[in-house]
Amino acid sequence: MHMADALVSPAVGGIMLAASAGAIAYSAYKCKDDLDEKKIPLMGVMGAVIFAGQMINFTIPGTGSSGHIGGGILLAALLGPFPAFLTITAVLLIQALFFADGGLLALGCNLWNMGFYSCLVIYPLIFRPIVKKGLTPTRITTASIISVVIALSLGAFSVVVETLSSGITELPFVTFLGLMIPIHLAIGLVEGIVTGGILVFVYKMRPELLETSVANKKLAKTVSIKKVVGILLVFAVVIGGGVSVFASTNPDGLEWAMKNVTGTTELAADGSVYETAADIQKATAFLPGYSFKSTSEKSSAAGTSLSGIIGGGITLLLAGGTGLLIYAIKNKKKNQPDA
Amino acid sequence: MANISDSMNTINSLEEMAEGKTIIHQLHPMVKLVITLLYIVLVVSFDPYNITGLVVLAFYPVILMALAEIPYKPLLTRMLVALPFSFFAGISNIIFNQNLALMIGGIPITYGVISFFSITIKTVFTVMAVLILIATTSLPQISYQLLSIKVPKLIVEQIMLTYRYISVLLEQVSNMYTAYMLRSPGGKGIKMKDMGIFVGQLLLKSFDRAENIYYAMKCRGYDGHYLYAKPDPIKSADWIFLLGTAFLLIMMRFFDLSQIIGSFL
Repeated sequence: MHMADALVSPAVGGIMLAASAGAIAYSAYKCKDDLDEKKIPLMGVMGAVIFAGQMINFTIPGTGSSGHIGGGILLAALLGPFPAFLTITAVLLIQALFFADGGLLALGCNLWNMGFYSCLVIYPLIFRPIVKKGLTPTRITTASIISVVIALSLGAFSVVVETLSSGITELPFVTFLGLMIPIHLAIGLVEGIVTGGILVFVYKMRPELLETSVANKKLAKTVSIKKVVGILLVFAVVIGGGVSVFASTNPDGLEWAMKNVTGTTELAADGSVYETAADIQKATAFLPGYSFKSTSEKSSAAGTSLSGIIGGGITLLLAGGTGLLIYAIKNKKKNQPDA
Repeated sequence: MANISDSMNTINSLEEMAEGKTIIHQLHPMVKLVITLLYIVLVVSFDPYNITGLVVLAFYPVILMALAEIPYKPLLTRMLVALPFSFFAGISNIIFNQNLALMIGGIPITYGVISFFSITIKTVFTVMAVLILIATTSLPQISYQLLSIKVPKLIVEQIMLTYRYISVLLEQVSNMYTAYMLRSPGGKGIKMKDMGIFVGQLLLKSFDRAENIYYAMKCRGYDGHYLYAKPDPIKSADWIFLLGTAFLLIMMRFFDLSQIIGSFL
């Protein structure tokens, strides 16, 4: 579900970066008052846990599709909404930098789609009210499933809106949405069950952690974070190691949605398309000065590509020369004795 | 398990690359950060049907990789990760936009095909730019720059800690996996019945190590705040690179050099 830089326009990327930056700033401000030192390493470990979990794609039975956990609700339930959002930010930035999963310009979109909704909207509005009456395994499971399903659907909806408003894909809105939402409902169900299982286990082993988080209280100094971190590491490893047995090479939900469209539609160039194309070309100024417009003349198209190659070659020389110039300047500076 | 050792190899190889001493490595991290962001914005700002203008920007990653002495193979491998989704987004354009753009030797080229190539090229360029950044600049250096642009300290600490714990966890998993495989000849992976012991061992070892790191931090004065070594100030060569590259990139973006030169031919 990570969006790549190439799928967003500068405007959409910039707006979403600004929105997410605002959410980060607000979260950091909220954490400033009530975050003890012990929680900082815990957040770091939780980030690594989510990282390990997200690497694993598991198959969703009957669809030929696979997904990975987002972890937003899980983090929010264990750390509280604001520390959880900050932790997800760190994970997404590392994924974007090291693994080409997402991108720098798309970071705002990804943070919004995968962190903002789950940590800062769904958790306080849905998860916490459900479990507020008292923590029970049933309530935790119910809250997890509902929260994750809604958070993922919101995220998928945002992917559609962001991609379309960037003008990248020409998939019609309804088709795109119709492919994304059902898949992410299914993924959400699976992820919700997994999240519920983890949280119920944590609750049974270390109930105080969930209780303090749900009540939005500070962790008492006597609570041993060691054991909780240990349990979470077990889950990270179970998810990372165990599920990888079932990890499939199937494309994930987003890709499957795209593939489905291409599989059912055939690429055919009818005569009518050619006719309308001629009219459209008259109306559309596509690369003025280029011979793309006069499609009937083959020689001009070849001429364009030739001049393009020559032009590109000269540009390469110029850029290469600039690189050499900088290299020479730096070398000269290095060789000069210190003044 | 392939995922885990893959991730570890990626992190390790990028960390090793970032230790280089070329002029690109020596550039001020902030300069590299700014140029990378500028480049990405310029690349994605291209009209989906303007490929000839777009390819001019190929020279940035090519020249930088040459100057920074970054090997192509590992970066190209990572790039494949980012391509599939863009590929399908592009394929959908081929189907939904069949308006004819031009003919090359009797083969019709539609706008959909052009935008497909445009998306693919943009993906390659943007991913390469980010990989060049991380292959020439270590994460601590980037994190410090985030502090200087007023990113809250807490979030920068989280980036550093998460990053460190990932390495610890992945390295342990990889070692244990190798040990397991050496003791189970002919096995294709970890058996389910062994997972409990495997995971239990991993937990104990990883947790011990993470705890040791935490204590080591405490011994070195950690009081909830990460300490950073201050990087060098921005030098004049950094300014030359920043202004020169930014100028060139903007020129490439707004003047289709190929077209201008081509018109003289």
